[in-house]
Amino acid sequence: MREKLMFQNAPHVRQRESVLTIMTDVIIALIPLYVMSFFYYGARAIALGLCGVISCMVFSLAGTLISKESLNLRDLTPVITGLIIPLLMPADIPYHVVLAACAVAILVVKFPFGGTGNNLFNPAAVGFASVALCWPDLVFKYPAVLSSLSVFGENAEKAATSPAYSLAIGAVPEYDVLDLLLGSVPGPMGATNILVIIACGVFLIVRKAVNWRTPVFFLLTYGALSALFPRIEGSGFDALCYELFSGMIVFGAFFMLSEPVTSPKRDFGKLLYSMAAGIIVFLFGHFGGFEDGFVYAIIIMNVFTPVFDTVCENALHLYRNKEKLKESIESDIKKAAQKPAPAVVRKHKKAENEDKAAADAPTVDEISVKASKEPLSEENSFEKGEISSEETEKIQEENEEAIADKEPAPQEEHEKEKEAALQ
Amino acid sequence: MAFFTKGILLEQHKEPMLTRNVLVMRQEYEYFDCSFPDVPVEELSAEQIIEIARLAGIVDESDGLMLADKLEKANLGKMGTMVIDAVDDEPYVSSQMCMVLHQPESLALGIRLAAKAANPGDIYIAVYKHIFDMNINIPKSINDIRIERIGGLYPAEDRAYRYIPKGKNRLAVGACAMVHLARAVEDSRKMTSSFITVAGEAVANPRNVEVPIGTSAAEILELCGLAEEPEVIVMGGSMTGRAIFEPEEELINTTTRAVLAFTRSNRSYAYSCIGCGRCDHACPEKLSVSRIRLLTDFGKTDGIKKYDVNLCTGCGACSYVCPARIDVAATVLKAKRIAAQGKKEGAK
Repeated sequence: MREKLMFQNAPHVRQRESVLTIMTDVIIALIPLYVMSFFYYGARAIALGLCGVISCMVFSLAGTLISKESLNLRDLTPVITGLIIPLLMPADIPYHVVLAACAVAILVVKFPFGGTGNNLFNPAAVGFASVALCWPDLVFKYPAVLSSLSVFGENAEKAATSPAYSLAIGAVPEYDVLDLLLGSVPGPMGATNILVIIACGVFLIVRKAVNWRTPVFFLLTYGALSALFPRIEGSGFDALCYELFSGMIVFGAFFMLSEPVTSPKRDFGKLLYSMAAGIIVFLFGHFGGFEDGFVYAIIIMNVFTPVFDTVCENALHLYRNKEKLKESIESDIKKAAQKPAPAVVRKHKKAENEDKAAADAPTVDEISVKASKEPLSEENSFEKGEISSEETEKIQEENEEAIADKEPAPQEEHEKEKEAALQ
Repeated sequence: MAFFTKGILLEQHKEPMLTRNVLVMRQEYEYFDCSFPDVPVEELSAEQIIEIARLAGIVDESDGLMLADKLEKANLGKMGTMVIDAVDDEPYVSSQMCMVLHQPESLALGIRLAAKAANPGDIYIAVYKHIFDMNINIPKSINDIRIERIGGLYPAEDRAYRYIPKGKNRLAVGACAMVHLARAVEDSRKMTSSFITVAGEAVANPRNVEVPIGTSAAEILELCGLAEEPEVIVMGGSMTGRAIFEPEEELINTTTRAVLAFTRSNRSYAYSCIGCGRCDHACPEKLSVSRIRLLTDFGKTDGIKKYDVNLCTGCGACSYVCPARIDVAATVLKAKRIAAQGKKEGAK
């Protein structure tokens, strides 16, 4: 028995959830989107997803070999990246574009910064953004819905205009809001099925893989801004529906913006982060050249994540030390109140003068010494017993006053020491 | 409101221990000579109760202080509230709650005697509220001593003391010490035993046992039987205890609360931190655990003072929730040590 015993640090029971279960939850939430895109575009959607996953796995294997880290087969983050990237693209995208996006995501964004958990930017976002810069004609032109695409080879049809493109040129999209919700509009392969995405997002929130604050506050901010400043003619509500349900806004809110590695840690930081992301996406929509600037907004916000973290830490530092701050302010006030020491001296002088007049009377000094000694002994006896802080403070205050009357110098030294400790 | 407090929800695993009474290990009792043997229990004065507690050598199991000293100090000052600590918010550990459920008579007698000695304004027994995996009704009062259910998430024991109204003195004593006091007064028996919980996946017959002080952990595990070969044996508690290597050498003392045997070490799989921030969210002191861990791991402990590491209570909630199975709590405690050393050096 003795040989087998192992050492482990303090909490000897652990939660059942692990990184593996969180990653599996995200993968489970992404699978319905592939089912929907299979329904709309046929087997090519599945083939694209497989291409993304396999290439991401191969690239991350290469990355671990190059960085000489130990291989962790329980790390499913490349699978998620590989599943998200094709969902952002049209269903007839050539395979080499997906491959290039995965290469950028894994080999440029992830491994140079230290692998899983250390990336500064969302890998899928940067992968897609770089591909959108290289092949804008391919990435932002979508096939018609329910068109049968061949799994291998070129698909020539590039006719349909997406609602996001209509919004970008200031036209009202020709589709119903119900079509937008069901996803039967041209657009990114997995980002058009709004209802399915919301259901998957709710699943992630319930499983606590995603903090609800990030998607909710992002969608609220973006929706409010686009309703207040509509790009199209018509009521604000129409603009809100079209803006929210076109492009990759909802998909990104649940699957990309809320990624734990690149978003702030604290709830308040998440709130600020998601609201700022909403504002930037709105600005990209109004003034940007691309029809969908969501990924660029995520990349910009990733840069500012440490800023939000630091803001929250500083605020919490003040919050944790609020009692200390109060005490230091109170001690300052006390100090200020005790400063008119000359009054005491005058009193003494007066007393001395009076003593000179009546020489036989007992001196004030003796009385004050007695007074200061008695409560001190009491305090010592009370300190052993458990006594409330307020009462000890009262006694200490009395003692301090008595001591201050006698000799004000050591009191100040004590406070200086306290301040030094506080600082 | 309890769910809005900071902390974590734990699976309590208390069921087989709490439904059964305490198992008493065979032992020889020691008795003390009392100078006032004929005084009836109800007529003992405060000084006499304190003397009995001193003669019996009763040690409070929650903080390791002599009960007689605590009562004496309480007797000197004006007492506000006396809390009987039966919180037991750590998983598996349940010896104090077992006193409430299975030995209420001696517990109530002990509390009455302690109340006479300390003379508090208010007495209550504090019991943890969120125990979901068992079907036991905890009574609302024992012999007119009310039982308060302490709500909230895991580090509740700390909070139980903190929420006592300010401006009042408080005294917290353990429930097992109360039972020992009742025995000392009734039978003039010395405190030679300690109530501990024996549990864990590897234990065949998990129970609360009363064992003589100085028993080794191996003997206790033998008493309850091992179903499987344990990989980790823990003394103390599931959240704050320490793993031991030589169960024959490790002896039970007065403050040991549990001996646990687990079949599987929790260090089996390690992932890399994905920065989910759950440790920050779990910390009852609102510390920035993830940042402290990063700074300590990379040796940048100069600016660590800003993160108030000294507030860490070592509850282990951060490690419990970590999905990457990182030993966050150990790292934060290391940072706390480093910060304390830095402070000392700075003072010199």
